[in-house]
Formats: sequence, structure tokens, C-alpha cells
Amino acid sequence: MSECIVITSGTGGVGKTTTTANLGVALARLGKKVVVVDADIGLRNLDVILGLENRIVYDLVHVIEGECRLRQALIRDKRTENLYLLPAAQTRDKNAVGPEQMKKLVADLKAEFDFVLIDCPAGIEQGFKNSIAGADRAIVVVTPEVSSVRDADRIIGLVEAAELPEPQLVINRFRAKMVKAGEMMNKDDVLEILAIPLVGMVPDSEDVIVSANRGSPAAFDDKSIVGEAYRRIARRVTGEENIPFVATEEPENWWGVMKRWIGLGEGKEVAG
Amino acid sequence: MTNFFDKLFGSARGSKDEAKARLKVLLVHDQVDLTPSQMDAMRAEILEVIARYAEVDREKVDIRLERAHDQVRLTSSVPVRRVTSRTGAVPA
Repeated sequence: MSECIVITSGTGGVGKTTTTANLGVALARLGKKVVVVDADIGLRNLDVILGLENRIVYDLVHVIEGECRLRQALIRDKRTENLYLLPAAQTRDKNAVGPEQMKKLVADLKAEFDFVLIDCPAGIEQGFKNSIAGADRAIVVVTPEVSSVRDADRIIGLVEAAELPEPQLVINRFRAKMVKAGEMMNKDDVLEILAIPLVGMVPDSEDVIVSANRGSPAAFDDKSIVGEAYRRIARRVTGEENIPFVATEEPENWWGVMKRWIGLGEGKEVAG
Repeated sequence: MTNFFDKLFGSARGSKDEAKARLKVLLVHDQVDLTPSQMDAMRAEILEVIARYAEVDREKVDIRLERAHDQVRLTSSVPVRRVTSRTGAVPA
């Protein structure tokens, strides 16, 4: 059975595109046939995060307007089996596409793929409506900050108003050290406010910037803690249960406790 | 950031509690579209009605909107010093 999942957030800059790219890579590495769709018409970015920007010939708007066949616009990621990108148009505006056209496109893609992941643009206007039109469910990305959580709450309301099932939450840019110091909302704080099920926690890490520089998502890197967080999300998305959210931390000795207490400790990053 | 001395004397309270408290108020008001000043006006009117019947400890009054599941609920905690009218009639 194939499924279309929209990755959304409300606020821009919280990591929707990174999440879409990594989840796509991680699902493909689990052997699923995956297409990631960039629905941010006019501001495409998913191609860059995946390092596929030089291979684009046709885009989503060409497909919808019948200028090419769907297969011609799909770019295969050569680093793994079964991962494809449908890029957004860069020179058109977001009104070039409507919800009905997106529904048809998603239906066509679902016939070919196990997972259709849609990278939703920021905001709650046309781009959002297009992105959720064909989706079976939604993943909401949030960072543990007041503005992001507020907008996530709004998005969750809109997803439910669109009669999609209850969305799942990814908490991104989580900083273990700040949480320990009481300077960042923890998992339970965010879940208490948003009251939707958690599907993953991704630590804030330099890996994300390095992998964006290289066009190689962290989910390809078996040593990356961010990659591990996304691989766990992918497993949960496929229905696997009881995957721990937080990796066990190193047992602390008295010196570690002292260092943390006086604010010198490097809070060990944890993946979920 | 909390420093060593804050931690030592226990005077530091992480900013996350503030974030959470602000969010709770913010989300309720986003949902019901009631401005803080409208909320203040409503609170004052409710107290005015209660004051016709009972003497209220105004310092300790807590009337607020809260979210519980899909509902927004008006909760109130109004400490009463003594009831001023047993008949329930509006004092002249």
C-alpha cells in the first residue's frame, strides 16, 4: 500500500526540507520506493539539499501542464536504490498549481511508489493547500521555540480541519545541553502543548550544515547522530514500534557531574 | 544562561518555564480570538457579579482560559471571604 505524507511546519526555517530529504533517503535505504516532491513553487530547495540540482530538466509544473511525461521529470538519486525527486519549478509562482492538479499528480505517483513525501512551503496559503490536497497524513516539524510551537499548533488545526488524520510531530534542533540547563523546552513540554504523537527527535548538529554544503543528507552517513535520528523516524513511519527516542547516554562519573553543574560539560547529544 | 552562582544558590529558573507559560496563554488566545484586554474586561465583569453576593479576596482571584484537549475552558478560582447575601437578591 502506498502513502502520501506531507511534511509541514507553518514557520519557515525549522527544517522541513532537510526532514523531507533525510526521511526520503532513510526510507529508500529501508528498501521502500520513494519519491520526494518539492511543492515550494518558485523557491525550490529540495534539489540542493539532495545534491541533484544539476540534473533537473523538467519540473512539477511541466508535468501538470502536460509539457512532459511524469517519468521524464523524475530524477533518480544514484546513491541509493529507489529514491526519486520531483523538483519544483523555480521560475513560476505558487499559483501555477491548484489542489485538484496536485491530487491527480499524487495519485499518479502513488501508483508507482511506496511513499510520496511532499515538502510543503512555509505559510498557510496556496502552497500549503496544494501540498495537503493529495496527502494521506502529515508530519509537522517544530523546533523547541515559542514561535515555532505556536505556528505548529495552527498548522495542526488546519491539518485536522482538512480532515486528515492526526498529524505526527518531529522535534528538530533539539539541544540536550540547553534542555538539561532548563533553558529549552524538552520533549514532554512540547508534547504537552501540542498534544500529538511524536515520531522523532533530531538533535541540533553541525552535521546538518555540512551535509547541506555537500548535497548529501545525513541519513546517508551511518556515523552521523542526525542521520540516526532520521533513520529511526523512517522506521517509525513504516510502522515499526518501540524504537527508543533517546539513545542511552554515557554513564556519568563525579567529574562529569561537576563539569555539567558548573556549566562546562559538553552535554552529550542524543538522537531520537 | 544560568551561571555557577545562580545554580549554587538555587536562584535560577530556566527560561523554558517562561516559554511554556507564554505559549499556553498565546495558544488559547489564538484559538478563541480574545485579546488580553477583552479578557481583563471579562474578568472584571465576572468579579463584579460575584461581588454582589460575596466578599472576594481580589488578590488571589485566578480567572483564565485554559486548553483541555480540543476545548477551551474558562476556569476560575475565586476565594470568598464571606457571603454577603443569603437570599441571592441583588443588593439595592
